[in-house]
Amino acid sequence: MAVEELTALEKCLGLKAGKYSRRAQGSSQVPVLQTNSGPSLAGLATIASHLVTQAKKEELLGVSLEEKAVVQQWLEYRTTRIDRLTSKEDVRTTLKVSHENRQDLNCYLEDKVYMAGNKITLADILTYYGLHPIIADLSIQEKENYMNVSRWFSHIQHSPGVRQHLPSVVFIKNRIYSNVH
Amino acid sequence: MGFGDLKSSSGLRVLNEFLADKSYIEGYVPSQADIAVYEALSGAPPADLFHALRWYNHIRSYEKQKASLPGVKKPLGKYGPVNIEDTTDSASKNAKEDDDDDIDLFGSDDEEESEDSKRIREERLAQYESKKSKKPALIAKSSILLDVKPWDDETDMAKLEECVRSIHMDGLVWGASKLVPVGYGIKKLQIQCVVEDDKVGTDVLEEKITAFEDFVQSMDVAAFNKI
Repeated sequence: MAVEELTALEKCLGLKAGKYSRRAQGSSQVPVLQTNSGPSLAGLATIASHLVTQAKKEELLGVSLEEKAVVQQWLEYRTTRIDRLTSKEDVRTTLKVSHENRQDLNCYLEDKVYMAGNKITLADILTYYGLHPIIADLSIQEKENYMNVSRWFSHIQHSPGVRQHLPSVVFIKNRIYSNVH
Repeated sequence: MGFGDLKSSSGLRVLNEFLADKSYIEGYVPSQADIAVYEALSGAPPADLFHALRWYNHIRSYEKQKASLPGVKKPLGKYGPVNIEDTTDSASKNAKEDDDDDIDLFGSDDEEESEDSKRIREERLAQYESKKSKKPALIAKSSILLDVKPWDDETDMAKLEECVRSIHMDGLVWGASKLVPVGYGIKKLQIQCVVEDDKVGTDVLEEKITAFEDFVQSMDVAAFNKI
């Protein structure tokens, strides 16, 4: 999963495909990139950040200090939360519209177009890749329930170059269930 | 299409609802559509309309590049939900009349510049007005077929026709006529005329024709066609 993602990211950034291997770490597998210079890099966020720097697209890591911090925060969220979602229940709590817990994604995206700042960042791209299998699995009603996530997701998948091999997830233009906002 | 009155809270609510599942007014990139709606707003939407506010803040970040954004600006009525009309324009005009210090959206507090743009706008308006006045206004015309009936078979139809044709009015042109037999040797005069709707009404025409009461018993409009 992670390796395909990094390959897609390389294409998206216009880089040549690098050499990846996998290393087991606990119950999950961690991608490892063999670089020509220096030691090999391990971990999704690390490699992704490295690729961005290599492609000279540092703005994807955020421009202001605050943006940089937010991007890092969501990269961490990606590897610590999204990658560990196993059951449907987990998905629901992550996306759920719960106003007591402001940390969930749907609420976070309520007042944002991109995850950090007003430009697309690595946080958007990697969260998009991470959520893709989950969002693709949702029913129309669920997508509508997580409206802010859906809007953001649909926006990111239409950003040029980001989607790559992943199938486009369909979002219905007209809302069917009017009870949710 | 439209958002209703974008300067009122009801219009903002429509915008908020519209943007709930969209990042931009149109498509997936910022465009002139966003700028058009952005400029129609009188300021940032209130915090409870978070979808509209999110969009507003996002578009504000494009302020410097707003001229280079893709697309062509269209009237507000071309955007938004299909079932709602745009009423921002009419309302904003009123607002401008009684509220001179309108909030300047792009914060150009440069007085000279605003005066300049005012002058340019007035020039354009004047140009537009003169263009409009030069263009001949479309005149609505109608072709009317009149039935003029004489008293009896002894009425001099030639005289009757002469009388009818002697009516001269601005915007009235007489056309062909013929005599149509009605029965018992009585004929009626059927006469065509073209009138300008604004200047000649059928009532006036009827009054004038029936004024020749020596000849005319009654008059009917047989056909009335807009040209």
